[in-house]
Amino acid sequence: MRVALTGFGIVCAVGRSVAEAWPRIVAGERGIGPVTLFDVSGQRSSIAAEVKGLALPPPHSREVSGGAPWSRTDAMALSAVREAMEQAGLDPKKHRVGLVVGGTTGGMYETEQLLARMHADPSQRVPNPEMLAHPLSATADRLSGAVGPFARARTVCSACSSGANAFAIGAAWLRLGVVDAVVVGGTDGLCRLTYTGFNALGAIDPEPARPFHAKRRGLTIGEGAGFAVLELPDAARRRGTTWDVELVGVGITSEAHHITNPSEDGALAARAIERALQSGGIDPGAVDYVNAHGTATPLNDAMESRAIERALGNGVARAYVSSTKAVMGHTLGAAGAIEAIVSALTIRDGRIPPTAGLGEVDPKCAQLRHVPAEGASADVRIALSNAFGFGGVDTVLALARRDVARDDGVTLRPVFVSGAGSASAAGALAGVDNTALLGDGARPAEDVLASLDPARARRLDRSARLGVVAAELAGASGDDGVIMGTSYGDADGSASFLAKLFEKGPRLAPPAEFPNLVPSSPTGHVSIYLGLHGPALAVADLSTSGEAAFATAYELIAAGIVGQSVTGSIEGPSEIAANCLAPAFRELEGINRGSDRSEGAAAVRLTHENAAVRVLDVVQANEPDEAIRAVSAPQGRAMVIVAEATDAVRSVLASSRWADAPIHDVVTAVGRHEGLGGFALAAATALLLKGEADRVLVVGPSHGRSYAIVLGRA
Amino acid sequence: MLVRELNLEGRDPESIVNDAPLFGEGLALDSLDALQLAMSVEEQYAVRIPEGAEGRVAFASVDALADWITTHRPAT
Repeated sequence: MRVALTGFGIVCAVGRSVAEAWPRIVAGERGIGPVTLFDVSGQRSSIAAEVKGLALPPPHSREVSGGAPWSRTDAMALSAVREAMEQAGLDPKKHRVGLVVGGTTGGMYETEQLLARMHADPSQRVPNPEMLAHPLSATADRLSGAVGPFARARTVCSACSSGANAFAIGAAWLRLGVVDAVVVGGTDGLCRLTYTGFNALGAIDPEPARPFHAKRRGLTIGEGAGFAVLELPDAARRRGTTWDVELVGVGITSEAHHITNPSEDGALAARAIERALQSGGIDPGAVDYVNAHGTATPLNDAMESRAIERALGNGVARAYVSSTKAVMGHTLGAAGAIEAIVSALTIRDGRIPPTAGLGEVDPKCAQLRHVPAEGASADVRIALSNAFGFGGVDTVLALARRDVARDDGVTLRPVFVSGAGSASAAGALAGVDNTALLGDGARPAEDVLASLDPARARRLDRSARLGVVAAELAGASGDDGVIMGTSYGDADGSASFLAKLFEKGPRLAPPAEFPNLVPSSPTGHVSIYLGLHGPALAVADLSTSGEAAFATAYELIAAGIVGQSVTGSIEGPSEIAANCLAPAFRELEGINRGSDRSEGAAAVRLTHENAAVRVLDVVQANEPDEAIRAVSAPQGRAMVIVAEATDAVRSVLASSRWADAPIHDVVTAVGRHEGLGGFALAAATALLLKGEADRVLVVGPSHGRSYAIVLGRA
Repeated sequence: MLVRELNLEGRDPESIVNDAPLFGEGLALDSLDALQLAMSVEEQYAVRIPEGAEGRVAFASVDALADWITTHRPAT
């Protein structure tokens, strides 16, 4: 692929712009010091790489994010997005500009005390405008209000590789031609939850992080944001924009090994590097620089060294490798994006940053060509940026200097649906049986989780368990990805963890609970349980999370970045979602729903190989009527499936080309929750597999985030 | 406590052999279990399990853990 990087923005501990941060990164100047944002007494460490001097913009009007105050996460994103768009000279009013945001904690820092109170006292679980800043998707909403409008926005989480996967999705959008340019990146503010969680895991070095060092003891937590503007070279040229660096390759794998630990042999990380090189048409011996994930945990750096050696072969002696986490700490959901930008800057300027404080190299990392303490000057034509996350999602971006970038010749390909599965109040359903999702809500007596092996499922929370059953019933296997919608992540689990932290102190914060709190944890668990080696990503989009996840999987497969994936939604039971978040967002989303809330997971399996059902249209628009207008006309026996056939949806459909198609919904059988789009897609697949329809339109109506998807018999 | 804290579902506590290894073989627990178990022991018995070699002694088996807790328990 050839995707031009026409603008960069960075916020991190060593600077709130590229101009400020880049020289300090190159000089190996550390931005690590005592934590000032919150009390860290009793923790195993007391340092972090904080962003200093961050000003929060004034709140938006009520129409944007309900007028809630800005979170630090969102404010950092705003600064970096603005910087990137200014450099690119991009005006979202003149061009179709998309936005893809990667992150893990969103507005956690601002809502932690409220969450802990909600855990302790059920009467606190009421719609509270403060919580509007909480979900990951809040960042995209605020950015749209501040620097948009964006033609479409998407929010992705794969723990510490989130920011890199935003680049992959943005590249797919450009290939599909759904945007003229796309702003991609990651953002993550420091919070007590992450700080305490990594401390409880014993993963933090009390001293500033020393990647690849023989005596390294773990990471330093950082915070920040990194965003870049991506455009196809022709479009950038037409706009008269200049650029030096292109994204040419992407490799994404899942280790399917362990929720916190990387597999020691580095085989899947090596495969991600190999795929990035292959898709960029790059010889492993031609790599000039690798910006390592380099967290400075004993396991990661040894594994990563092995993976780099495995993937580059003899090229390992030639390619410089460094970890800039020694300077800015581990910026988690932002890391994959900030470090991709750092890698691009090495190409632009021919300057390679050192691994600050390296000193004595671990023999297990000695095969790498480390950068001298003063940095290195080199003619960098090819750079790789590694980003690995909890749950084992390894994402590698390959960047090339403009004059050596080559196109891989991959053309868009059709996407098919090969299966469907669901686990909910309607039972555990496979394939054609998912037509029962359109039923009358008669409850089967079975235990939908009965098929799970209790020993292997012991670390899985209820969300992950539901997800495993749905994915397995949809036919997930081998190299499949797991790309699932999740509206709010695990708010209740986070609240419980935080309540323990505040009541009992950090030493009694339960380490085993922490890895389950990142929004992508259920998808990671599904991939581990079922041994799936494709990308495990969570997509957060409030009430259209299932549709957004499906669109993401479709786009990545159609663009040739991913081969196949199960996709849909996972929503576990949640008191906080039911009583606080869902009612708080109901008004903003324009969805008039009851306050009852059920649970469930649903998945369909998408593949580039021929199958009985084909994906015909996937449209994302701000309003449902726009989305429906853009899909193809009904043919043969046509049906419409929606989460809930409200009067509002019926009236939009009545004035569309699909007016004559019968409308079904899944709410009676499944109950209400934000993942019903996944169930609508599973039911649509079942109808088509059964031959009861020729075309099915699935509509996800939500103000600011609407989807219209047409499936047909292949 | 092992069964509850580590979600060893379907495991009957009586079936855990008291002198069999907890980690690697035997119950085949891992590093994340070790951290969770150390926290639970500290919460319930006010006894800290150190990291590193000393901790490995305490976590050798159920018997070894019981000995460690008895020896290090603060006087009441």
